[in-house]
Amino acid sequence: MKKLIMPGDILLSRPIRIEHTIVENGKTYATVLGVFDDEKTSFIPLEGLWYPRPNETVIGIIEESKLNVYTVNLNAPYKGIIISKYARDPIVNGDVVEAYVKELDKTGTVVLTRPRVLHGGKVLYIKPAKIPRIIGSNNTMAMQLSAGTKSSVAVGMNGMIWLHGGDTDLATEAIFKITREAHISGLTDRIGKMLGASSAEAQPSPEAHREA
Amino acid sequence: MSKKESKDLMIDGKRLDGRNPDELRSISIKANVIKNAMGSAYIEWGMNKIVSAVYGPSEALPKHTGDSEKATIKCRYTMAPFSSLEEHGRPGMNRRAVEISKVTSEVFSNIVLLEKFPGNEIDIYIEVLQGDGGTRAAGITCAAVALAMSGIPIRDIPFAVSVGKIGRTLVLDMNKIEDNYSDADVPMAINPRNGELTLLQMDGILTGEELSRAIEMARHAGETISRIQRNAIGEQYGQIDA
Repeated sequence: MKKLIMPGDILLSRPIRIEHTIVENGKTYATVLGVFDDEKTSFIPLEGLWYPRPNETVIGIIEESKLNVYTVNLNAPYKGIIISKYARDPIVNGDVVEAYVKELDKTGTVVLTRPRVLHGGKVLYIKPAKIPRIIGSNNTMAMQLSAGTKSSVAVGMNGMIWLHGGDTDLATEAIFKITREAHISGLTDRIGKMLGASSAEAQPSPEAHREA
Repeated sequence: MSKKESKDLMIDGKRLDGRNPDELRSISIKANVIKNAMGSAYIEWGMNKIVSAVYGPSEALPKHTGDSEKATIKCRYTMAPFSSLEEHGRPGMNRRAVEISKVTSEVFSNIVLLEKFPGNEIDIYIEVLQGDGGTRAAGITCAAVALAMSGIPIRDIPFAVSVGKIGRTLVLDMNKIEDNYSDADVPMAINPRNGELTLLQMDGILTGEELSRAIEMARHAGETISRIQRNAIGEQYGQIDA
């Protein structure tokens, strides 16, 4: 059975190793708000921060370039760096980049590789805990967003999303709807309806066109 | 006004506002009231109206305030210039606000998993819009909800409440007039999971036995306060079937 768990609530009376939990006196407690499924022993956080893992995609904004390193603002407790030899495109301060996490070094700096400069568009900031729902299982939600709005969408696991072209206002609206309703099932269908309905409104039917 | 004495504050076993000695004022909390904050909450505790917001973790600035081994909690408690009958005309921190900010940051330093964010700071803002006694306790209770909503990992959701003494009677959750004329005032913050005290201050005089009873009263009241806190958080996620 799934139930809402608040920070400090006991998950299990035995020690298990799950993310967003702590073990005290042989018992496992949640540290963030989330949903616990006791059949699968899985804990899905509803709120939470981003912890970098190797090979994750992130979106960031170049803050500073000095000597052979670019500093990247990842809107997180960690500062990102790109070593300039890894950068194929020319990068200047203020550029939005998509990059992959190479490692988190001992000083709490995220080393990024394979940067790609994203030209134009806009950047949204959402809570990192909602990002898996924006992507969807097997990337379905992100593809649906992209197809329904004709926008290019790049999603960073750090909670930053880049949108460019097409109906970015509709895409923004859909993303905020996903963040609000992330914990309610049937979300992909609802977003599909929203995007489908809106695109039908935007493009008048052939009959309507003939009458005009 | 003639000088009040503490005995005037209790008439036939009832307090001036009609409450029993062990009765809380009405409390209501609403979570997520500030869009730009990581987590936020608004509390109405009796006549107190307090808003709280949490930001971070972000790089500790100025650098020397950071700790390379763990995060730093920076708390800012302030009363709005229009919040009470007393003189609060000068905006910003006064001696009292500095003290309350310090003890509040110590309460939250005990429950946040600070070691996960070395070199960073977590900012907790508590703004009293209307004050009527017990604002530090109400502020901590409100900020705890804001912190839970922020997604910052914490060990527990603490609550705070004050217990005072009028004559020989211990009273729970004193309002402003009781606060001014009572014989003692003991604000406390408690982690409900293990009953740990993270704040214990005392104005006035209590015996050891009275202090033990005061802590017991606070723990008992905490069951109600914790339930209100949890309901405020749960309301944000009405339907759970993800």
